[in-house]
Amino acid sequence: MSLKVDQTATAFTFKGGMLPMTVMELASSDPERISAQLAGKLSQSPAFFQHTPVVLSVEKLDDTSLALERLCAVCRSHKLLPVAVRGGSEGIKQSAWALGLGWFPPQESRESRTLASVTPPPSPSSVAQDVGHGGRIFRGTVRSGQQISAAEGDLVVVGAVNAGAEVLAAGSIHVYGPLRGRALAGIHGDRDCGIFCHELHAELLSVAGNYKRLEDIDPSLLDTTVQVRLRDDQLSIEALV
Amino acid sequence: MARIIVVTSGKGGVGKTTSAAAIATGLALRGNKTVVIDFDVGLRNLDLIMGCERRVVYDLVNVIQGEAGLNQAMIRDKRSDNLYILPASQTRDKDALTLEGVEQVLEKLSEDFDYIVCDSPAGIERGAQLAMYFADEAIVVTNPEVSSVRDSDRILGLLASKTRRAEQAQDPVIERLLITRYDPNRVDSGDMLNLEDIQEILAIKLIGLIPESEAVLRASNSGVPVTHDQDSDAGQAYSDTVARLLGDEKPLRFHQLQKKSFLSRIFGGGRR
Repeated sequence: MSLKVDQTATAFTFKGGMLPMTVMELASSDPERISAQLAGKLSQSPAFFQHTPVVLSVEKLDDTSLALERLCAVCRSHKLLPVAVRGGSEGIKQSAWALGLGWFPPQESRESRTLASVTPPPSPSSVAQDVGHGGRIFRGTVRSGQQISAAEGDLVVVGAVNAGAEVLAAGSIHVYGPLRGRALAGIHGDRDCGIFCHELHAELLSVAGNYKRLEDIDPSLLDTTVQVRLRDDQLSIEALV
Repeated sequence: MARIIVVTSGKGGVGKTTSAAAIATGLALRGNKTVVIDFDVGLRNLDLIMGCERRVVYDLVNVIQGEAGLNQAMIRDKRSDNLYILPASQTRDKDALTLEGVEQVLEKLSEDFDYIVCDSPAGIERGAQLAMYFADEAIVVTNPEVSSVRDSDRILGLLASKTRRAEQAQDPVIERLLITRYDPNRVDSGDMLNLEDIQEILAIKLIGLIPESEAVLRASNSGVPVTHDQDSDAGQAYSDTVARLLGDEKPLRFHQLQKKSFLSRIFGGGRR
């Protein structure tokens, strides 16, 4: 398949849409209490609980003890489908993203954002221009269970990415240290970016969705300085000298 | 103001309670007024290690729920006047602890004590997070094996995000690494991770290294913290650890393979 064909026949188009959505305004972060209340509602109106998408609003909560993952499990077990979280701290935002949920800013500051989202999504060419702006530098060790991402541009980690950690970027990923965790570059589909690291021992490498597991990596490249990029739809790992 | 030290690890069975008891004892023996709190509600063990299980009347949960005063619940150590134990409840679960309750207890203790040692439960859930939330320092206990190192790495991530110091953007929790059950023979044969590898992955300062030792099990079963056994390698290693915690410089011991002497090879002299 050549690239030209891909460009002429578009596989999809972006469209703005306003869909009705149930917001679950949480007044408690205790999963037991929420579960009990849901069970009560379920018996009253079983028709409502048919994999209904809900937005979990945590604005009214002091979220230090909020266990988002557990909360989602409770919702799912009552046939509610959490799709996004509204409000909460930076930590909540990060864990929502880590759980594959969307995040909305709290209601007060939402107005400006709603307007922004109504404006048509940028055309592919301007997306390409935007790459390289933004980006993020993280100094320190990315530890097991942590997820560091750059929604725009490149991610630079000055330190190690440990096993069980995950680093993601819309652009390239640069790790000035050992890369032992997962690294996903080009998460929005940019095929021209790459992964660069000082010491390769990654659990998973991915560029624009093409991935290699640790098991697939040529053992002679392990613990060396490499660059990873896409060549003919194949992930290629080369030594950097 | 007391220093609040949490002893934590993520993984179970690596020696958190043994270390919490030994370090609290060491701090008290050096003249610091110390209290050690068992946060493992439902799986109370610290009282056994400290040898005070027959003297438990009230516990941490009773205090938090207002059923008993702190002075009623704290048990004075038999061997050191400076040391107190606040046991956990065996009949409740971790949900019985509240953030506000723990804060009040720690604030009250801070007025009277120099050091508060929190013995964290295993895991990364509520109990462990409550034990670490108010900490000034953390001692991360790690065994020389990959799963323990990875779990410690996870805990270090939580210490950097789920503590009061992190949330209020104060100075971060001081993180220190304590390696336990280190066996130079097995490191040498490649069965165990070596010291340098563990330090490279976790990238925090080493506060101590406790060798695998028969003295530890003996101490646990007799209810006398191993710090009291100064003839043993583990007891000395914990004393070194406490000295470093208090700012002394101590060279690292027990991490190198001891060449067995000719006689001990013949007579099979084991380490104490």
